[in-house]
Amino acid sequence: MIKFIKCFWQIVSKPSVHLSLGLLSMGGFLAGVIFWGGFNTALEVTNTEEFCISCHAMSDNVYVELQETVHWKNHSGVRATCPDCHVPHNWTNKIARKMQASKEVWSAVFGNIDTREKFLAKRGELAQHEWDRFSANNSLECKNCHNYNSMDFSIMSERAQVQMKMAAERDQSCIDCHKGIAHNLPENMHSGEGTLAKLEEMATSGYDQGQSYYSVRQLPLFTDKTLATEAGQLNAATKVTILAVEDNAIQVEIDAWRKTKGFGRVMFEDFAMNINDGFLSKEVALSDDYMDKGESKIDELTGLPWQKVSVKLWMRNGSLTESRDTLWTFAKTTFDKSCSVCHTQPAENHFDTNTWPGMFNGMLSFVNLDGDTQALVLKYLQKHSSDFSDEAH
Amino acid sequence: MSISRRSFLQGLLATSTAALVGPGLIQAAHAAAGDTAGQWKVSGSHWGAFRARVYAGKVQEIKAFEADKYPTDMLKGIKGIIYSPSRIRYPMVRYDWYLNREKSDTTQRGDNRFIRVTWDEAITLFHDELERMQTQYGPWAIHAGSTGWRSTGQVHSCGNHMARAIAMHGYTVNKVGDYSTGAGQTIMPYVLGTTEVYAQGTSWPLILKNSKTIVLWGTDLVKNLQVGWNCETHEAFEYLEQLKEKIARKEIRVISVDPVKSKTQNYLNSEQQYINPQTDVPFMLAIAHTLYKENLYDKKFIDTYALGFGDFVPYLLGATKDKVEKTPEWAEQICGIKADQIREFARMLVKERTQIMVGWSIQRQQHGEQPYWMAAVLATMLGQIGLPGGGISYAHHYSSVGVASTGAAGPGAFPRNPDKPDKRIHKNKDYKGYSSTIPVARWVDAILEPGKKIQANGATITLPDLKMMVFSGCNPWHHHQDRNNMKKAFHKLETVVTVDFTWTATCRFSDIVLPACTQWERNDLDLYGSYSGRGIIAMQKLVDPLFQSKTDFEIFTLLARKLGQEKDYTQGKNEMQWVKELYNGCVEANKASFPMPDFETFWKEGFVDFGKGKDWTRQAAFREDPEINSLGTPSGFIEIFSRKIDRYGYKECQGHPMWFEKAERSHGGPGSDKHPIWLQSCHPNKRLHSQMCDSEQFRATYAVKGREPIYLNPHDAKSRGIKDGDLVRVFNERGQLLAGAVVSDNFPSGVARIEEGAWYGPVDEKIGSLDTYGDPNTLTMDLATSELSQATSANTCQVQYEKFIGKVPAVTAFGGPKEIS
Repeated sequence: MIKFIKCFWQIVSKPSVHLSLGLLSMGGFLAGVIFWGGFNTALEVTNTEEFCISCHAMSDNVYVELQETVHWKNHSGVRATCPDCHVPHNWTNKIARKMQASKEVWSAVFGNIDTREKFLAKRGELAQHEWDRFSANNSLECKNCHNYNSMDFSIMSERAQVQMKMAAERDQSCIDCHKGIAHNLPENMHSGEGTLAKLEEMATSGYDQGQSYYSVRQLPLFTDKTLATEAGQLNAATKVTILAVEDNAIQVEIDAWRKTKGFGRVMFEDFAMNINDGFLSKEVALSDDYMDKGESKIDELTGLPWQKVSVKLWMRNGSLTESRDTLWTFAKTTFDKSCSVCHTQPAENHFDTNTWPGMFNGMLSFVNLDGDTQALVLKYLQKHSSDFSDEAH
Repeated sequence: MSISRRSFLQGLLATSTAALVGPGLIQAAHAAAGDTAGQWKVSGSHWGAFRARVYAGKVQEIKAFEADKYPTDMLKGIKGIIYSPSRIRYPMVRYDWYLNREKSDTTQRGDNRFIRVTWDEAITLFHDELERMQTQYGPWAIHAGSTGWRSTGQVHSCGNHMARAIAMHGYTVNKVGDYSTGAGQTIMPYVLGTTEVYAQGTSWPLILKNSKTIVLWGTDLVKNLQVGWNCETHEAFEYLEQLKEKIARKEIRVISVDPVKSKTQNYLNSEQQYINPQTDVPFMLAIAHTLYKENLYDKKFIDTYALGFGDFVPYLLGATKDKVEKTPEWAEQICGIKADQIREFARMLVKERTQIMVGWSIQRQQHGEQPYWMAAVLATMLGQIGLPGGGISYAHHYSSVGVASTGAAGPGAFPRNPDKPDKRIHKNKDYKGYSSTIPVARWVDAILEPGKKIQANGATITLPDLKMMVFSGCNPWHHHQDRNNMKKAFHKLETVVTVDFTWTATCRFSDIVLPACTQWERNDLDLYGSYSGRGIIAMQKLVDPLFQSKTDFEIFTLLARKLGQEKDYTQGKNEMQWVKELYNGCVEANKASFPMPDFETFWKEGFVDFGKGKDWTRQAAFREDPEINSLGTPSGFIEIFSRKIDRYGYKECQGHPMWFEKAERSHGGPGSDKHPIWLQSCHPNKRLHSQMCDSEQFRATYAVKGREPIYLNPHDAKSRGIKDGDLVRVFNERGQLLAGAVVSDNFPSGVARIEEGAWYGPVDEKIGSLDTYGDPNTLTMDLATSELSQATSANTCQVQYEKFIGKVPAVTAFGGPKEIS
């Protein structure tokens, strides 16, 4: 073999004796065109969905999952194909991605993921590669079609408006929040990483009718068990009582107070305490179908009328926990660390319940907390404020 | 031991010239122009980022960082901070304290006689005093609540180090609030739902595009935007430049409501609405009166977004206890603005889009809560809150507020809290009925009147019996009011420990002084742009710590070692590992939106740029949906009347904004017959508070006969026989100082300015002695704003001045201690 290489090298490295330089260059050029053409054709072939699903690992797993999602079937009839999301559109990144993809071909050939079980076992790792790639390019492939600037927030649900505006302000990477949008999530993994995943880990499963639980984070509320129409948002660490349990949905009751200036959309944990339990859509807040109304009284400290309500709505089956203790531990650790970067964090009982929102909001621009964590930390501070503390300070 | 101050100073100068400033500077001076030998390094500061050429172990040259298009002149003072003759060289202990410890003659405090000790001895003394306090007294006896502008850098943030190490030993008394915005940050959460003073403001491009009128209410943007809490970017100056052009083209009107023609006014070539000092509230009330009477206010906005207007109007109309209608004619008598002019001003505000920008000066005076609250009421009546280029802001002069935020995460900091609170050596939390947290400006009261009960923000505070103070990177002998009162208080203290790199007046009045190094003698990193979050700047150590100084990290590691908890303190990581850890934490936090290079690349390049943020309008979300995006006030709405404050039953801060006469006021106000001149002590133009005053060459560019300038009205000066450049004695019942006269048309009759941060240099330690350099807080009053905030009232201060005749004392503020050997 070595002898052959040596011999070959001797031939190609010798100056040409019989052919002109022009002919040689021409030949090289033509060979280049043919190779390039072939390469590009091959590249284009590998960029088609047919190629992607020619392996069982893809066609039997992720491809069928995609068919259940909005990226496959929707009212406008636009469909995303595999390469739309998974192959970078500019040439350099595309080639880089192709080199990486050779590993997936290797896996296909050598059977690392040739059964559903093997694929599921490996899904976490594979998904992580894609998420890392999306993180690094700020979800460029999503943004080829979805543009923050072209979004009409006003036609979104109220909950989506809040989240999407925040994301748009930071030009946030889409996949930060939308993991699992086109394929199933890895097992044992909920809808996110980092804080969200940490919060989700605190959730228990299997809820008993008649029992009370607390939300681990902000969660969407729906009008009925089909979970089709959003009714508002449950805040983090909010108490709910289970009324009914279906497969995917649970009906919950939220005992709250609301101010009756405005539409009464915001639910508070207790009378005259601005501890947010979540908010309702205008339709739900104005309707009698979803709530029982209780006593009304005036808060003398603001002069505002308050009303007791018991709201019955549906939510996804999950993300609840039996006690707030673990949530509070997480919130306290976050507060102590984040709020001592510039100054000593004030004691929780230094302010009262209704003063904390003002103090907390005034400082938010100095800390790196996502929306769920902000909501949780604020609630922790309010629930441990001077109103709930006997300790002299 | 017998050593005269003069011979000492001469000796110090001689040694410092030879040993310290000497070789480097002399070599540099002799070197040919364009000398480029050495290595360029990147660092940052409150004054901005820069590159420094380091050669032969000395900083030779400093030039502004290329991303900074509007660098401050103060970069010229940086080298002088490092090589200042005021640098603390060795651990020092006050001589009499060294001999007699807690039984020392405390009336000698301030005589500046110190003895040099080893680091080991100094740390032992520090530790033993903490130990003695905890065992002999308890947590109520130690105040370790440093406040103020630590040097920049997130690893070495000095307050964090002090707090962490001392908390590992035991509990102490802490503070709430600060000296800059004490009244503002307390009142505004009741009114607009956040502190406002530290909140991001509407982005400048939106203001430039939409505002037709900008009112600068007692704020001097061009002066104050030179410095920033983190490494300053000076990005706001680009917009000020555009504003200047728009004013010239008459597209925007800018009016400063100010007794003084500010640096901003002179730069922008904009208009001024003169007002008598401290009378903003009468002017504002009369504007409100006009808007109400002429039906010019936005009723719909008030109905939708505010509460309590109906409870406020009777006061405006004279239907409440005081029976005074707040007419322009009434206000004219107090604020010195003609009634018709007040009406014109009110009509102008509602005519088009108006952005009101309020500075911090008007809340640093007695009843400082009132003008802030009343300005918010005015803005509510205009109904433009939440519109781009409309509404009100309280921080556009601060740290480039108004430059859009990128949203990127900045680096965290060395942890301030102990990791294992259970390992705290003294677990005693018994404050014996004293309060564990006190309003920041009331610690001197605590020393003088322990056990006294005061009202503060709805709570009753019992002032603790403080025996020991610990300061780190904190200079209360600059920022607190009334030096002679402080001398009295310090006679009662047993022990004072100060950690600093430069011999401030606080060191002079301390017992144990530990030499830290400057921020340029250590490795660190910082956020570039406090509010814009423009990037991350590396702070590469320029030179090794001078003399025997150490980093704050090292100093408090030594203390932790004494506690047997060194590893718990450092987490087993050294300086560079901490820098790296904070950087990597930042990479992790930003990974979704702002990819960052690895640490090695960052450290070599010195900078990560996050680009520009998106324009943003303050309170737009609230305006759009006041229910979901409610304010942080008790009701969630703007509170023109606060039932909560009303319930506190305070005399000097009631249910709605009101006019209260001041303890002292110029232009016919109380005390003006005896001391006719109002002394304003605003933030300096050529320093950051008291930082950089020790920079000799730079100080020489603005000092007058070696003293701090006092800015005087030409007529006032002439009537006292004072010319520009004369030495002036400024005095009142509280104290006296020498300053150098700068006579300027910018200052109206009855007004003088000495910028705060001028170092205190008394002739001797005795109460009443003359301050030789010109610290305005020799003259200011230690008076709380009100029962609500208990904040500083530095701008409520009347003085008299005269030409100084007689033997001129030498300046004693600089150059370090008198060393006894």
